[in-house]
Formats: sequence, C-alpha cells, structure tokens
Amino acid sequence: MPKERPLVSKIFSLAVFILLEIASLLMLSNNSELQKLWLARISHGFMAKTWGTTQAIGNYFSLKGQNDELALENERLRAVVRGYEQASHDADPSSRPFDGDNGFHYIPATIVKSATNTQHNYLILDKGSDDGVVENSGVISPKGVIGIVDAVSKHYSFAISFLNKEVNISARLDTSGAVGPLAWDGKSTSGAVLKEIPLQFKYSPGDTVYTSGYSAIFPPDIPLGIAGEAKVINGATNEISVSLFQDHSALKYVTIIENTRIAEIEEIENRKKEDKK
Amino acid sequence: MKNTFVFTYVLMTVAQMILSNYCHFSPYVMLTILPAMILCLPTKVNTLEAMLIAFATGLAVDWLAEGTLGINALSLVPVAFFRRYLIDAIFGVEPFEQKENLSIKKYGFARMSFAIILFTAIFLVIYIAADCAGTRPLWFMGAMLGFSLLASYMVSILLVNLLSYDDRR
Repeated sequence: MPKERPLVSKIFSLAVFILLEIASLLMLSNNSELQKLWLARISHGFMAKTWGTTQAIGNYFSLKGQNDELALENERLRAVVRGYEQASHDADPSSRPFDGDNGFHYIPATIVKSATNTQHNYLILDKGSDDGVVENSGVISPKGVIGIVDAVSKHYSFAISFLNKEVNISARLDTSGAVGPLAWDGKSTSGAVLKEIPLQFKYSPGDTVYTSGYSAIFPPDIPLGIAGEAKVINGATNEISVSLFQDHSALKYVTIIENTRIAEIEEIENRKKEDKK
Repeated sequence: MKNTFVFTYVLMTVAQMILSNYCHFSPYVMLTILPAMILCLPTKVNTLEAMLIAFATGLAVDWLAEGTLGINALSLVPVAFFRRYLIDAIFGVEPFEQKENLSIKKYGFARMSFAIILFTAIFLVIYIAADCAGTRPLWFMGAMLGFSLLASYMVSILLVNLLSYDDRR
C-alpha cells in the first residue's frame, strides 16, 4: 500500500479547489451581467488594496535611497547658501564676518559602522580618498561635531568619534566668548564637559556652546550643545557640563569637512617656530 | 450497494432541480439539499473526489434548473473542500479512519442535524452573496439565510436517510 503524503495531498486539493472556484466564477461572470459587475467590483477592490500595499512596501524599502538623495541635496543646498553668504559678504565687507567658505570643503557621507558603547568609540564612513577625503578632516552633522577622520582607504574612512576620551575640540561659550576644550563626559551619548573656562568669565546655565574655530579641523560657530551646571576645579577654572544637541546613538548621515588651507596654516606655524630657533 | 448509492444520488440531484424550478415559496426561501448530499458521500471518497462530484452536481443543477450557470458549483465546492475537516470536528476521526459512513442511527439525530446545518450554512452564505451580488441590503440577506437554512434543514434531515448505507441495510 503506498504511503500517504498528507501535505502534498492537501496542497493538491487546495489547488484543485482554487481551480474549480475560478472556473465557477468565470461561468458565473460570463452568464450574468449583474454577477459580472459584482465580481469586477470585488476584484478591483482587491487589486487596489494589493497595489496599495505593494506600493507601501516598495516605498519603505526605497527609504534608504531617498535618504541618501536627500543628504546629497542638503549638502548641495548648503553649498548654495554658502555661495550667497560669500557674495553678500563681498558686497558689504562691514557685515557680519562670513564663515561660509572659509577654506572648508564639504563631503556628505553615510555612517556604515559605528561603536558607541566603549570609551574609545569610532565610526566608519562610506567615503574615502577616491571621494576626496583626507586624514584629519572633521566630521559634523547639522547638530554638532561627530568626530575626526583618522585613516582613509579608497572607499572608506575611519573616524575617531567625539565619544572618545582622547578627543578634545575647541569650543566657545556664546555670551562670554570664553574658549576651552570640550570633551565627552564618558557617560552618555549626548553628554560633554567644557573645561578650563577661567573664573572671570561670566557664565549662566542655558548658554549655547559653539565651535571656536581655533582649530584647523572645524570651522567656527557650529552649534554643539547647551551649557548646564558648572563646578570650580582647583579654585582656578570652571568645568561646565554640556548637553549635546546631537545624540550620537541615533546618527546615520554626516558631512566630512576638509580644511583646504590647513597646509598654509601649518607652513606659517612651522616658519614661526624656525624663526624662534 | 454502490450502484444503489449512485442511483439515489442522481435521483436526489433531479429532486434538487425540481425544487429549484418549481418550489418558489418566497423570495426569502431558497431550498437546497445539495450540502446534505455532499455530507452523506461515502467516507472512502476523498476530498479531491468530493470536490469533483460537488462541481459536477452543482453544474448539472445550474444547467438544468433555472438559475445562473456556476452559482451552485461555486457554493458547493467549498462545502466539499471543508467536508473532511468538519466531519472530523463534529464526529471525530472515526468515520474516516474506520471508513464508516454517516447515519442518524450511528451518530445520533443531534450531531447529524448540526452537521447538516453547518454544511448548509456554508453553502447558503456563498450562494446568497453571489445571488444578491451586492444589490440587496444586509438584513435581506440575513433573513434569506435564516429562512432558507431552516427550510433546507427540514427537507435535508428527511432525505438524509435515503443516502445512508447503514440505515438502508
């Protein structure tokens, strides 16, 4: 006696059932105008629902591509804004000092890998030397500083994250203009500490903290975060806690900035050092 | 025995044609004995065979009685498709495992009544939906289902003994 194959038998029965029902529906549709309209209405409703769902699924899976396009578009628009600011500054040099095209070149990038749960966090970006990325370029987002490029391959860059105990960036308090090194607090992905602020500078919680522009890596006036409580260190300086605008745990798109005049800056520094010798 | 069953089955199909052609008591009542006929098919008939029998029976009634071609076949094939699952659920696995045919004498009036009502309800839901084709209000379809189910059950329970082997022996 042949062994029974229930699953195959069930599938076959289901297929025959569907075929017989389709045959019945076709006969019904061909023999009555009323039933034909009714079936057409049902099938149109079903098709509309199916297409709608398919479209929604397709849209969901194309979101990454759309985000990439938007990041590129954002960068293009920022370049246009920088161009207008440059033109405005050239027309009226007495206006607010222009900080747009101050020798920085901008490259949009996507984070392909990142670590945020150690004391020495890093990022890997999808742009490399073929895209014009060089070592010691800054990495920023619209909400702050993200890190510094440490190594570059043809298609990828390795960046030391701001969430790294070894990274300090020069930052400035908005109201007083006091400048000091800003470093990660080592506790959360959105906390930092602004150090070495002399006591004579007036300070109030809620001040915005910006990049100072004193380093050759980051341009000035990138908003970084909001100043919080301060404590006096060794009776000489204030150490201010800062709540960063950018939460580093939710980050995907960044911009790499390269200072195109860094060689000139280094050259003048070296010359001065040689003169002193 | 086999020939007797086939003969009785054909006779009942003819009876269904007569019911469809001449017994129009009310727009709310649609008499059918086709689901009970599928229920009483011998248990050695598997699902695939039952579906083919149901399709042929439905088409024969559609073809020879007044009505839209395909509507009885459309409604009866699902009854045959779910026959095995419903019989297992109502009567247990015994009928199919031991190849025992269903009868009131063996399984009792209540269980057979419940099975007929369930089979007939599946048939009528599809039949009424396809027949009304979205042109009738829900209350009308509900009323038609209720009255038709009651009338069909009463006719089917009377005729079900004719198709039962054991009761005839």
